[in-house]
Amino acid sequence: MKRNIQVLLLLFLGVGLLHISLLTDLYLRYVRPGLRPALIASGVLLIVLGAVSAARDGFPFNRPRTDGDGHGHGHGDGDGHGHGHAGGPKVAWLLYVPALTILFLAPPALGSYTASRDEAKAPRAPSSPGDSGDSLFPALPDTRVVPMTLNDFSARAVWDTDGTLEGHIVRLTGFVTPGRHGTWYVSRLVISCCAADAQVRKVRVHGAPAPPADAWVTVTGTWHPTGKVGTDGASPALDTTAVRRVPAPKDPYHDVVVRP
Amino acid sequence: MRTAARITSHALIAGAPVVLLGGLALAFGPEITAALDDRAVAAWRTVFTAIVIQGVPFLLLGTVVSAAISAFVPAWVFTRVLPRSPALAVPVAGAAGAVLPGCECASVPVASSLMRRGVAPAAALAFLLSAPAINPIVLVATYVAFPNSPWMVVARLVASLLTSVVMGWLWIRAGREEWLRLPKGPAGHTPGASRAEEFRLSLQHDFLHAGGFLVVGAAAAATFNVAVPHSVLRLFSDSPWLALPMLGVLAVVLAVCSEADAFVAASLSGFSPTARLAFMVVGPMVDLKLIALQSGTFGRAFAVRFSSATWVVAVVCSGLVGWWLL
Repeated sequence: MKRNIQVLLLLFLGVGLLHISLLTDLYLRYVRPGLRPALIASGVLLIVLGAVSAARDGFPFNRPRTDGDGHGHGHGDGDGHGHGHAGGPKVAWLLYVPALTILFLAPPALGSYTASRDEAKAPRAPSSPGDSGDSLFPALPDTRVVPMTLNDFSARAVWDTDGTLEGHIVRLTGFVTPGRHGTWYVSRLVISCCAADAQVRKVRVHGAPAPPADAWVTVTGTWHPTGKVGTDGASPALDTTAVRRVPAPKDPYHDVVVRP
Repeated sequence: MRTAARITSHALIAGAPVVLLGGLALAFGPEITAALDDRAVAAWRTVFTAIVIQGVPFLLLGTVVSAAISAFVPAWVFTRVLPRSPALAVPVAGAAGAVLPGCECASVPVASSLMRRGVAPAAALAFLLSAPAINPIVLVATYVAFPNSPWMVVARLVASLLTSVVMGWLWIRAGREEWLRLPKGPAGHTPGASRAEEFRLSLQHDFLHAGGFLVVGAAAAATFNVAVPHSVLRLFSDSPWLALPMLGVLAVVLAVCSEADAFVAASLSGFSPTARLAFMVVGPMVDLKLIALQSGTFGRAFAVRFSSATWVVAVVCSGLVGWWLL
């Protein structure tokens, strides 16, 4: 890889990182929010590196190298793996793929395709049962409609043997994942580091026709008990009275209570 | 006549794969297109991009540290700090892994620059293995993922450190210099050259080189991630003896980042704690991204041998530590 191409790659990658982390919120489609400072710092560092390289090596045309310059690199005895003094590693060409991808062709956040490939699984019960009795799940507030996260709802629907969900109207927000035979789920993907470790939270919706896949919706309804609560046989489900389309949230992987 | 025959045979050899692939594409085209429906491709692109973006800051951190070691830290520092005997240097270097925060992407360039500066390969390799597994960020993530079992954090620390030290000693005993293509490139400070310029060149070279291999590893990891849903993990939860090596194998293809490994392991509720420990110990030490980075930096002959040996040692160590602590 010629040095001017390396400069171009560093600049592309740096600008791409700043584009997705500083100028837009696209980075939230791929990594957790906490990585933003690291992404901005990397973008700045790559642009600085590219700018310094452009000044030292010449850009867009390689500056002819003087003798002393070439010696100082310490590259002279290190031509072993497929690149000479002036050239960089050939494998670096591959970095153009993600660099141009995040600049021009940012792929969408993961959605119903990923959610449909995993079974509905509730998070574990919050702590060891037994000693403290019924304090595992605090009682729900006594408002008319209780907004809940999918995480909280699924945990209660599967593990809460005290039935704190009974008699409450709850509201859940997520995207639509079609199931088999016309069934559908309101679902979320939760990431802990990057999109590669996404975990599925989904609640089966009864009593309403399926909106298009990947549409974001708020569903209101009551708990639909399925299976024996407290065992792996239970699964979260909802008897729905209202389904409303909502705009997609900024951070698609953050399972929070959405206030209308 | 002779040349004509040779050209014909060359054309045939070159043409055969084209014809074969073309035939396959014509025959199975619709099926292949259906199998790769655009939603799967979109998911692949998202996961691929996510792994690269997640890796770049850590890779950059690793190459900055490695370039700083090459350009600014004189070689005598390492001979002074590390015990002279490699057998003693291995545990010290393994424990030193605790100071480099970040993912496995960061540790490969640092280990390579340590070798360039004359640190015994065994010690540098112990550091390479332990750094992503025992640094404070990863241990805190493990604690957050397993809030009810603080022993899991201890077990992960002990098993990871044990694996890296055993691998270092194993390298002293059984390793051969010719497997390891010692990293080339800027070999340290040359008198008369500007240190800042050396730092820049080494940073640029190492980052671009390792970054290319990060892309290879991310592509492989994304392919497995999309092709193998995480629910496969639960298939093996019934047999405790099979669960340990199976989670070890799945850690290689599914683990992406040492912080996230803890959360993935925590979600595998059907498995014994020991099997989950194996997932967290193998994940940061042997995975597709790391194998790609290692073969780029140290050569393929090394990466294959080292990764398979590490896998065996890591599974055995987690089995022992899990039996002892969990």
